[in-house]
Amino acid sequence: MATEAAPMDEKAKRMRDLLSSFYTPDPSISTPTSSISTSFDNINGPSFDADQYMDLMIKKSNLDVLLQRHVQMAAEIKNLDTDLQMLVYENYNKFISATDTIKRMKSNIFGMEGNMDQLLHKIMSVQSRSDGVNTSLFEKREHIEKLHRTRNLLRKVQFIYDLPARLQKCIKSEAYGDAVRFYTGAMPILKVYGDTSFKDCRRASEEAIETIIKNLQTKLFSDSESIQARAEAAVLLKQLDVPVDSLKDKLLEKLEQSLDGLQINPEEASKLAEHNVSSKDEESNNQGPAKIHEDAVRGFSEAMRAYREIFPDSEERLFKLARSLTATHFENMELYIRKRVSAADFLGIFRIIWEDVVLMDEVLPEAALSDLSAEAAQVTLKQFVARTFSHLQQDISETLLKFDINQKEVVDGEVLKVVLEASGKAVLQGTTDIFQEFRQLLDENTGIFVKMNDLLIGWIQKGFQDFFRSLESHFLVLSGKTSSSNETEGLVEGKSSEKIHAGLILVLAQLSVVIEQKVIPRIAEEITASFSGGNSQEFIPGELCRVFHAASEKLLQHYIDTRTQKISNVLRKRFKTPNWVKHKEPREVHMYVDMLLQQLEEVGKEVKQILPQGTFRKHKRSDSNGSNTTTSSRSTTLHSDKMARSNSQRARSQLFETHLAKLFKQKVEIFTKVEFTQESVVTTTVKLCLKSLQEYVRLQTFNRSGFQQIQLDIQFLKAPLKETVEDEAAIDFLLDEVIVAASERCLDVTPLEPPILDKLIQAKLAKSKEHNNNNNNNNKTTVSS
Amino acid sequence: MQGGSSGIGYGLKYQARCISDVKADTDYTSFLTGTLSLKEENEVHLLRLSSGGSELICEGLFSHPNEIWDLASCPFDQRIFSTVFSTGESYGAAIWQIPELYGQLNSPQLERVASLDAHVGKINCVLWWPSGRCDKLISMDEQNIFLWSLDCSKKSAEVLSKDSAGMLHSLSGGAWDPHDVNAVAATGESSVQFWDLRTMKKVNSIERAHVRGVDYNPKREHILITAEDESGIHVWDLRKAKTPVQELPGHTHWTWAVKCNPEYDGLILSAGTDSAVNLWYASTNEKSPKSPVESTRQRVNLLLNSYTDYEDSVYGLAWSSREPWVFASLSYDGRVVIESVKPFLPKL
Repeated sequence: MATEAAPMDEKAKRMRDLLSSFYTPDPSISTPTSSISTSFDNINGPSFDADQYMDLMIKKSNLDVLLQRHVQMAAEIKNLDTDLQMLVYENYNKFISATDTIKRMKSNIFGMEGNMDQLLHKIMSVQSRSDGVNTSLFEKREHIEKLHRTRNLLRKVQFIYDLPARLQKCIKSEAYGDAVRFYTGAMPILKVYGDTSFKDCRRASEEAIETIIKNLQTKLFSDSESIQARAEAAVLLKQLDVPVDSLKDKLLEKLEQSLDGLQINPEEASKLAEHNVSSKDEESNNQGPAKIHEDAVRGFSEAMRAYREIFPDSEERLFKLARSLTATHFENMELYIRKRVSAADFLGIFRIIWEDVVLMDEVLPEAALSDLSAEAAQVTLKQFVARTFSHLQQDISETLLKFDINQKEVVDGEVLKVVLEASGKAVLQGTTDIFQEFRQLLDENTGIFVKMNDLLIGWIQKGFQDFFRSLESHFLVLSGKTSSSNETEGLVEGKSSEKIHAGLILVLAQLSVVIEQKVIPRIAEEITASFSGGNSQEFIPGELCRVFHAASEKLLQHYIDTRTQKISNVLRKRFKTPNWVKHKEPREVHMYVDMLLQQLEEVGKEVKQILPQGTFRKHKRSDSNGSNTTTSSRSTTLHSDKMARSNSQRARSQLFETHLAKLFKQKVEIFTKVEFTQESVVTTTVKLCLKSLQEYVRLQTFNRSGFQQIQLDIQFLKAPLKETVEDEAAIDFLLDEVIVAASERCLDVTPLEPPILDKLIQAKLAKSKEHNNNNNNNNKTTVSS
Repeated sequence: MQGGSSGIGYGLKYQARCISDVKADTDYTSFLTGTLSLKEENEVHLLRLSSGGSELICEGLFSHPNEIWDLASCPFDQRIFSTVFSTGESYGAAIWQIPELYGQLNSPQLERVASLDAHVGKINCVLWWPSGRCDKLISMDEQNIFLWSLDCSKKSAEVLSKDSAGMLHSLSGGAWDPHDVNAVAATGESSVQFWDLRTMKKVNSIERAHVRGVDYNPKREHILITAEDESGIHVWDLRKAKTPVQELPGHTHWTWAVKCNPEYDGLILSAGTDSAVNLWYASTNEKSPKSPVESTRQRVNLLLNSYTDYEDSVYGLAWSSREPWVFASLSYDGRVVIESVKPFLPKL
């Protein structure tokens, strides 16, 4: 059929299509031919209406087309006829071949049944024979099996009976591994029959195991064993169901306890540090405490290494231990530096700690000990820097206050000078020393320090900045200028501003100058020299200089204020107490003048000790000394002249006159800026006092005698004041002002006659001389006695 | 230096200590001042700032029998004021009324409304309640404080109550709390003392020696400023009177008087015996303690200006309540200077 189909392939294909179209139920999918014509004129479609098609055709087409269509249709019909014919033929052909096949099958099956029966028979016989064999051998096999089982059992029993001996042997040969294996093998049997037949055996073997456990434990605990052996022991113990965790705990506890021994006691720290330093110097001859400590730590870290391998799950705990050791190290260090510690000692301890940390870090790198200790070290170092500064400040204030106590006993003498020198030295030396110490820190090249170098430089600079700032405020507190209520300084709190000695304020003022001019530039120099590369924003010498400059001026002003306040009190009492309107005739110079002069003398003494001399006044004063009396007397006469005149004239014109006089007088600058010289301070004090005097006078009303008393006192004051004071013109002016004020406030201005004035003054001078002599004599007698 | 160019001057014939703002005068900025002359005929000057603010006109000139140590204008009647005066030997205090038609009279006489004649010692001051109509007056001498009831229409003053401060505290001046009509502060030898007028008992004190001047902050309750001889100016919060809230350096010599501005909180004037008037700004706003750096920086800025164009100590000082940027100052040589602080206001 294939040969037939090859030449007429076209035909065969069409055939197959037709056949399949015949058998498929759905016409829409089937023939590709039907898809050629559209549904409307689809002849093959089920809904084809021949009449309608005809009508349409006739209506639509002309004759030619119809004819053509006719021809075409005739051809198609012819085609269809042949197709049908072929199909019938084909069908028939297939039917014939099917019948042939069925006939052949029938002949093949025939005769098969006999073979089958034969096979069944044979199989049956095989089965019966095998059954025979089986039954005949069954008994023997049974027996063999039983024997075999007994033998096994016996072997086991034998094993168990041998177990104690075997274990003993193992113990002897320290083959603990085998022993444990044997024991664990026997365990199930012993468990089941232990109470009955194998009682003795069990007991013996348990004893043996006990010794094994003991041995293993000792092995585990003994530090002399190798780590391998110990680890094995731990594993074996675990196999023996011995609670290893409790063992671990015990071991770790022991380790923890050993920590206590490793701590660096703050008390011993200095010793340690010393030895550390000295042992380095003297080629560490033998066991110094530092060496011992190092060994201990080494041992500790070894132990940790061991435990880590033995108990892999104990890492956390070990971390904790190592961390806590580091932490306590730094805590102790903090305690240690609470006391005064030199940088060398600090470094010594620091090195030890760092070594410890390095040792431990080797064992437990995961514990991040170096990070932890780096952090802690930063804190500690920062604290150290801060503490060093606060110690320095304490030193300085101690130097200041130590002498202050003596001050009250020895009024005279050079105490203030000593204080100033001592405290100045304390500041200068202290800051330089501190700087040297920090240099030591910076030169240190222990790992951690190198990292922190930049930080450290920053801290030092900031430290200096803060130190000077706090020193300044401390000075102000010490001087009582700012209230110390919010300060925690116990030293100052007790002192009210009254009790603070004026001299101390002066010392502080001058000390501020010293700091401004010497100390700060020096530190600045050192800092720039040492950290030229570093950022130097933290330490601003210019600002500090300004601060101290302001402080020194403030303090000097404060000194003058406290001094004048004292004098003011004297004056206030003087003017408040008597009734000036009913004053009696003056008999002598009033004693408040003495007090005033005494106070001024004290100021002079204090100032002389502390402040430098002014440069330009000195020679001039000695010049004018000779003519002093004459000028003063002249001015007196002039003044009394004026007074007499004004008395006779109307008082209104007197006021006018004084105003006029003021206009013509060169305006005297009373309140000039205070300078840091002896003369300037004394002059300012005197000026302020005289101004106060004038103000007090203005508040009173005087009768004639009252006025005369004032006149007398002022006249007396003139000479000694001029002697002490730089600006004579101003003093003259102020003294005159006092007289003027008194005359303005006087009901009856009648000055004392110059002779009487002179007489009274001379009397006073004589008296004070005598008094001085007496005093001197007294002093001498006390000294001699 | 600066003050010399802008100030408006007026010369009294004699020396003088006191000047007062005429608060009740709402049409003009006026001040009352009185001379202090032991032997001459003393005068009370009524000064008025011209509307342009460029001239100081003497609106009235009245003779006063004695030298005037203290003068205060009545806050609710511009024609009434009080003086404390002295004959040299004895002291007196009186309430005066300016005659109504003084402009037309040749030499108008002051009408004496009442004499506060219960005092024995040296009288320091007479106080009016600064913030409104109040028919009570306070007068102080060195030992006693008196509360008076004043009736202007009947021309009488009666003592309502009095209290003695004790011999040791010689009182020197005082201020009446503008926020509390019953609270009065008095400065003494060693402390500032506070009275409750209802009970006439001392209720509180600030231990502070040698306080010369005292003033309440009219804009802020419980705030008091004191001026002290040597130690400058202090600002206090009376609720915690242990330590001052703020400290101003004050003057080269004594600080005599301090006055709070009636309108601008924190603006303080001080007058000193160093012939200067200082203008400060001391805000009490900040509650939190500042860092030392900040406070020093602030301390520098606190002094807004220093008016130094005076020949003598300045004792009298008064803000104008009508134009609160104007103040009058009076130096001992009798020179009244009116200054405006307007240039410094924007800095606040």
